[in-house]
Amino acid sequence: MSARYGMVIDLDRCTGCGSCMIACASENNVPPLPQATARTGLTPMLVRRVSNGAQGTKRREAFIPIMCMHCEHDTPCVKVCPQQAVEVDKATGIVMQMPQRCLGCRYCMTACPYHARYYNWWDPAWPAGMEKSLNPGVASRMRGVVEKCNMCHARLHSAKEKAAAAGKREIDPADYVPACVEACPTGAIRFGNLADPNDPAARESRSPGVFRLLARIGTEPKVYYKSKEEWVRALAESTSGPSSKASLTIASEVKHG
Amino acid sequence: MKVEGRSMKLTRRDLLVWSAGAAAGLMVTPVPWKLLDDTSIWSQNWPWIPQPSRGPVEVQQSSCTLCPNGCGIRVRMAAGWPVGIAGLNSHPTSRGALCPLGFGAHQLNWHPQRLRTVQHYSSTSSWGDARTAFVKACSEGPVVIIDGYPGRASSSVFETFLQGRGSYRVVQSSEARALAPYEAWSGVPASGLGYDLENAQTIVSFGAPLLDGWASPGRFTRLWAERAAGMSEPQLRLVQVESSLSRTAARAWQWVPVQPGTETALAAGVARVLLEERLVSARGPMPPLTLTGAAAQTGLTTDSIRDLARTIAARTPAVAIAADDNPAIAALNIVLGAAGARGGIVKRSKLSTSYVSAAAPIPAARAVLIDSTVPWDFVPQTDAEVFRFAAWDGGAGKADWLLPAPGFLEELTDVPTAPTSAIETYAVAPGVVKASSEVQSPAQFLASIDSTLTTTEKIVHDRCAQLFRGRTGILQSQERTPLAQVASVQKLEEQLWKGAVWVGEALRPESLRCELKEWPAATPSSPPGSWSSMWPAPVLPPLATKLYQESTLRQPPERRKA
Repeated sequence: MSARYGMVIDLDRCTGCGSCMIACASENNVPPLPQATARTGLTPMLVRRVSNGAQGTKRREAFIPIMCMHCEHDTPCVKVCPQQAVEVDKATGIVMQMPQRCLGCRYCMTACPYHARYYNWWDPAWPAGMEKSLNPGVASRMRGVVEKCNMCHARLHSAKEKAAAAGKREIDPADYVPACVEACPTGAIRFGNLADPNDPAARESRSPGVFRLLARIGTEPKVYYKSKEEWVRALAESTSGPSSKASLTIASEVKHG
Repeated sequence: MKVEGRSMKLTRRDLLVWSAGAAAGLMVTPVPWKLLDDTSIWSQNWPWIPQPSRGPVEVQQSSCTLCPNGCGIRVRMAAGWPVGIAGLNSHPTSRGALCPLGFGAHQLNWHPQRLRTVQHYSSTSSWGDARTAFVKACSEGPVVIIDGYPGRASSSVFETFLQGRGSYRVVQSSEARALAPYEAWSGVPASGLGYDLENAQTIVSFGAPLLDGWASPGRFTRLWAERAAGMSEPQLRLVQVESSLSRTAARAWQWVPVQPGTETALAAGVARVLLEERLVSARGPMPPLTLTGAAAQTGLTTDSIRDLARTIAARTPAVAIAADDNPAIAALNIVLGAAGARGGIVKRSKLSTSYVSAAAPIPAARAVLIDSTVPWDFVPQTDAEVFRFAAWDGGAGKADWLLPAPGFLEELTDVPTAPTSAIETYAVAPGVVKASSEVQSPAQFLASIDSTLTTTEKIVHDRCAQLFRGRTGILQSQERTPLAQVASVQKLEEQLWKGAVWVGEALRPESLRCELKEWPAATPSSPPGSWSSMWPAPVLPPLATKLYQESTLRQPPERRKA
């Protein structure tokens, strides 16, 4: 049976600690980039700090982790890639990025309404000797390609290998947990198979207060968010420019916290 | 030349036809696409691209040694090297959570600022020279050793070495310092006190970054996630008193914005309302500051201070937590009846030691030895010769001698109870990474001078034997095993080496009694900290660039610019 892996992120639980960002980078051999800025960095998982725009005691802030939304329908990056370097895996629903095919044209970055793709500007480099600390399950990527969240696909491979070794066809859900989900200290990120109605994440995705970013453009993201705060939910439809060119720009993002 | 009436001359029309044919041919032949694809793959496999180590993968359980809170970690090892760190769910205090720095700690040993040679006034020197200089200093006058994580086996080595030679000082974290006022009022050393947060229903934080790495990052964060996060009527009410909208304030049930540095005045104002309106059963001294005075200082209205007091009293047990040593906030806890009560400040240990703070003036000493656990921003005010151990270089100007110490998980160390824990714990963090021959721990350094000193390995073994003889508490790993059911000391050690944690029995809260006759004099409030400012090393894990440079989430800490 095909799966539809996705996440439900409870924003009322996110404290903006950034553990998910570090765990993601460590798991996927994303290099530290001392020369990078917020514009040129490589953050497949990025936590944004946003506010309601008010000042003084009325001010409220929240944290929104942004990664590839793994769009189900009319996946924008797949449609524009001239190299077929992006595809939606029919068995898992994960939007896969294949760096070997990528030419670095960055059409996909332009097309992504969520700004969840990053161009690799530099050769992957670690201080001398630190390559020993790299995750052996993930190959490092060359400069000149686009990178993004692939839901820790190496962990899915490991889970499949473990299931195959045990003579099973289906993986144990406990064996496939992305690094960000595992790292979240408050359990704000719930991961699972959205196609399985009994999966806790699937149930959570149908609970009150759940929303998806830019739902109106119809890309059917598989990353859901949840908040009881109305102003936070309103950010989901935040746009820049005409609605026909909708893209996620969180206008109220706070620079540095 | 003419062939059957046609000329062989190349015309413009022929050129166009040939070009169109070539273009059409290119579209159907796979050769250019294949070449493009191969070029793409080839260009992504340059020999200088770092390749991960290949080898058997295993997971080892241990404790994080970056700070005194000792969170449980799972270290994924490949070919004998750590390649990933995750939280250990079975750990009794951290419960699977880590701070962001912990997730990148396995890369710290290769940080460009790793200290690898002995340095004397910024010049490369040798261990022999450092040893000679230290021995000479010891023979000429008293020695002071400053420790950052007291209670470890290494700390025991320090204290033994200092017998007849000098004095032992401790640099305490701000969380530990916040418990200092109770020491004077109860006679129980602050190192034996902790917060019973698990049983509290209201927590008033006066600037303490409870959701930003305060104490064991997992302890309060997990508690908040289970009992408060996202709930309209939380079981645990977190009230954050802070001048700015910090991460903790942003997620708190209530944020009380006050003027910077006026937490002491607010504590006095709240205590006055609690006593005047008889909202609490406990008795305490009336603060001299009037409610109007507290309102004027804090920038709040008298009504909002009254409301805050009523909110605190409405859901008990309630406890106030200070960001640092603040007697007024400790006095508020006395008024609340939180000192020596369930859900408040409790005594966790029958035996505890009172330490002399390193911040106190250092008497005339010939040499000061600073352990690698002491934060780099601590610089002793002394004229003595300073021997500073460190794994990472935090500035040669801060010591006469810089001595390279083992890095993350490069040496065996034991992990005593975290500073704010309500229960006693004991864990062992074995050295899972082989240290280079260039480094020495302070305990090894001292042992090379005094051969009668016991090794840390022997002290850890003795402590395990002592625990075993006590037969109390439980051994927590995936299962909880009463210590009385553990067959031998060897079995206990084996389990502790594999990441199990010994958890002591909780003492009765009433065993702590505080007496406070008058409201303490006002002291200036310390600015709130965060895990990056409280972290001991001068450098952050390389992947912290994701937080500090590659996003707008956090501002780079000041010390990184030094």
